[in-house]
Amino acid sequence: MIEWPHWMAIVVLAPLSGAVLTPIVSLRDRRIAPWFALATMTVTSVAALFLIMRVAQEGPFSYPLGAWTPPYGIELRFDEFSAAISVVCLVGSLAILCSVRYTEWLRELAKPRIPYYYALMLLNLGGMIGFMITGDLFNLFVFLEILSLSGYALVAVSGERTAEMAAFKYLLMGAISSLLVLFSVGIIFGITGSLNMVDVTTRLASVAADATMPAVLALGALTIGFMVKAAIFPVHVWLPDAHAIAPSPISAVLSGLVVKVGIIGMLRVYQIYYGSGILDLTVLNQVLLWLGAISIVMGAFFAIFQDDIKLMLAYSTISNIGYIVMGLGLSTNLSVIGGAVHVFNHALIKATLFLAAGAFIYRTGYRTLTDLRGIGRAMPLTSIALSIGAVSIVGIPPTAGFLCKWYIALGAFEADQPMFGFALIFGALFIFIYYIRMVNAFYFQEPIHKEVLRVEEAPLTMLGPILLLAALCLIMGILGRIPLTFIEPAALRMLAPLGG
Amino acid sequence: MKNAAVASLLVIFAIPLLIAVAELPPFGDPDAPIHTHISARYIEQGVEEAGAENLVTGVLLNYRGFDTFGEVTVIFTALAAALAVLLTSGGVQYFQEDRPPAPPKGADESERPPTPVSPVVLFVVRLLAPFIGIFAAFVILHGHVTPGGGFQGGAILGAMFIVLTIVLGAGKVRPRLPEPLARWLQGAAPLSFVLIGALGVAFTGFYLGFPPEHSLHLVRELMMVVLEIGIGVGGAAIFARIFLAMEAD
Repeated sequence: MIEWPHWMAIVVLAPLSGAVLTPIVSLRDRRIAPWFALATMTVTSVAALFLIMRVAQEGPFSYPLGAWTPPYGIELRFDEFSAAISVVCLVGSLAILCSVRYTEWLRELAKPRIPYYYALMLLNLGGMIGFMITGDLFNLFVFLEILSLSGYALVAVSGERTAEMAAFKYLLMGAISSLLVLFSVGIIFGITGSLNMVDVTTRLASVAADATMPAVLALGALTIGFMVKAAIFPVHVWLPDAHAIAPSPISAVLSGLVVKVGIIGMLRVYQIYYGSGILDLTVLNQVLLWLGAISIVMGAFFAIFQDDIKLMLAYSTISNIGYIVMGLGLSTNLSVIGGAVHVFNHALIKATLFLAAGAFIYRTGYRTLTDLRGIGRAMPLTSIALSIGAVSIVGIPPTAGFLCKWYIALGAFEADQPMFGFALIFGALFIFIYYIRMVNAFYFQEPIHKEVLRVEEAPLTMLGPILLLAALCLIMGILGRIPLTFIEPAALRMLAPLGG
Repeated sequence: MKNAAVASLLVIFAIPLLIAVAELPPFGDPDAPIHTHISARYIEQGVEEAGAENLVTGVLLNYRGFDTFGEVTVIFTALAAALAVLLTSGGVQYFQEDRPPAPPKGADESERPPTPVSPVVLFVVRLLAPFIGIFAAFVILHGHVTPGGGFQGGAILGAMFIVLTIVLGAGKVRPRLPEPLARWLQGAAPLSFVLIGALGVAFTGFYLGFPPEHSLHLVRELMMVVLEIGIGVGGAAIFARIFLAMEAD
């Protein structure tokens, strides 16, 4: 079963064709839509599971579409970084489950839109999966477009005026970043004559050795393009509004998963450029290091002053992406491993937080810390889940956030850049402050609205996913070594040409 | 002042772009990597290997068919995005029954009755529509031999529908297409790729493969034609639906 090659095609075809079929199957009864989407994601998850087991056994493998030997056709290539599709499947499925009640409750979401809401969700998830497993640069761009376009629409779907403005801002920034990515893919094709990533890596070293300026430009444009998607300072401005205004299950997907596409994109660019050895990347690494450090401190700093719980979580996403980018910029084994695993762990943590926040909003209709005072007594389970998520995001052992941040910090000291190690700890301190604020509001402050104390616990389709994710935050803290050792070969392979 | 800042910013960004682009291989240079590496094989063996006399179609459907699957999915995403943002509670019946009420008095501009369509325009559009439709069918079906294909033909077909809707009014065209059929047609392009691609597994052992043997060239051509029809019809249905949704908005 594990060896069956076609899991590779199924893992991306299932969600995309499922998206096309969703409006058709839910024509008579729109309540079918979420369950159909969930069934699609189950098939996808099974395929993803087999692929990850195979990559753990035999290392990276590829699937030549149309039976053309690469580089003539398009190649799907699965390596350890691609295993991030596991968290896409998990968080995506749970977000769909949470949407069942949430979309029916959301008054601004007109009922005929609901099947298209799930179709867009599946397109978004399928686009991300395709992005993570493709081995072809233009194909990467095609999937980037699928997931970006569906992402913009999902922000606007609630139909409020502010949501449309936020989606439009997201669209403008996203369109520029997609354009930059496409432009650089064109330049890379121009100097190498190839689009296959493995082929481009070897040909950059041989054919394009005398065309270093275009190679530098392509590297710069790709990095900026993916930085916009990842929302790194100073191109993060679209993120807080878009992530805070979207419906909460969508926020979980956008904040937990979609920003990570920028990170995976950067990893692919690094694989190509480190592998070819055509350029010295020290300057770029230095830039990423600084931008990452600024993002950490700035994101955490702004998060402290937010009263809106979702806006606070959105700023904390900027801060956490900063950790990952700093890990890449340090370019030591430990820091890259830590950064790559944080892609996975942060998705779990942020999904817990956004879904729990969504459950509060669903039950009470309030979304600020002030209004939600005392909710810990009315919704104990959701509040505990949210607290576990908050502890994890600070990085207190033994939770999921700890090991990766520890690895990145170790990397900073290993690379002889202790200053950035301190920036990381400083950011964690800020995060700790807003965590304290949150716990204080939920458990210890006197409620402003008496009815907050009378709300029921979240419904099962929301509580189940939230508790599962919170449990995973703890489990991944205890079993944290497994993903770290899993991702290690890919990080070593990427950094090997540095002699590191 | 602001303009000057923007202009200088643009210049600062343009300089590295121009320097880098100047170092690209000269345009039309036969020794440039884009002509010597992959495309060389496409040009030399493409017709034989990929089975389409139109090389562009050969690359589009065969060598890089998966990209095209992605592109038609992007078009479907555009439809889903438009409907997820624009649909109102009136839903699909909006066009026939729930016409929005007339604007309140005071808005004197919109109070005037709409200008009737000129009989000349009406006649010409109705006269031309069948020809446009036949031309679209030709472009779609002949796309693997001559320039054209599903995307272009679909655009023509969609344009025909939009022109008819503008001139005759939505009510006259729309009810002829029942909603279930319309939804299948809107998904036609990605679905045809999934089906034909799965067929490719049987022929070549991999998704989206086309049988390379010469004895099966008719099968191969048929598979391509089905894909082209899927792209064309699906594209046209999506254009028309987006147009109707925006018109209702």
